[in-house]
Amino acid sequence: MEEKTNNRKAEAYRVGLVVLILLATMTIGEYFIGSIAVGWSAPLWGIAILKAWLIIRDYMHFPRLLAGEEESHS
Amino acid sequence: MTVQTDSLSEYRYKSATNRLGLWLFIISDAFLFGGLLVSRFYLFGGTRPELLQPLGLVVTAILLVSSFFMNRAETAMAHGDQATFLRGTLITLVLGVLFLIGVVGVEWQIAPFTAGENAMSSMFFTMTGFHAFHVLTGVIFLFIVYRNGRKGLYTAERHFPVEAAAVYWHFVDVVWVFFYPALYLMGVVAG
Repeated sequence: MEEKTNNRKAEAYRVGLVVLILLATMTIGEYFIGSIAVGWSAPLWGIAILKAWLIIRDYMHFPRLLAGEEESHS
Repeated sequence: MTVQTDSLSEYRYKSATNRLGLWLFIISDAFLFGGLLVSRFYLFGGTRPELLQPLGLVVTAILLVSSFFMNRAETAMAHGDQATFLRGTLITLVLGVLFLIGVVGVEWQIAPFTAGENAMSSMFFTMTGFHAFHVLTGVIFLFIVYRNGRKGLYTAERHFPVEAAAVYWHFVDVVWVFFYPALYLMGVVAG
């Protein structure tokens, strides 16, 4: 039981770290797009939407809202 | 030691209801920021204010890292790890203060325009000001959660305030995800 809980915690930590790495990579990417390709805003919008989606799904746990009261934290 | 009068199923039911209320608030607040974003493009379209782009990158990185630590803190509390929860919340709080220093204490001071100079400068201070107020509110909220956490008021099963603080904090991060490119990266610098 305890091992299962620890595994779930480790998995949640891992997801958090992967999301951070993805966010950092995209942020650096958009910085270079913004500073080199001046006026090229379409990809910047795409990156912003992707970043927001990752945060809402994995950090804000939006699916938890839809799962109702029986959803446990993970 | 807290007195827990509700059964766990009652607490979960209440948390689900509170969660719905929290998200309704978040969505209504998102309309405000959406309106500001639309105003920015309506008023200065393909141009942007003259800002220090590396500073924008640094404050953005600070906020993203703070979200990571807040997520870690919430996960820790959900698994009864009090020490990691407190450490994560405190790091998030400090990073939030650093973000405020970066935007209000540095960017506002070095910006080559004043708030009332033109539509663009007014828009810049309104957008960053509204966002900074939300960050400040988040920092206060985090401080309350941290203080209550130290008193042992939360457990793995009962910690909705931690979740609420985390969701609010990440929302502030999501707003900046759109404000950062809109203010610092999109368009050419206005002459």
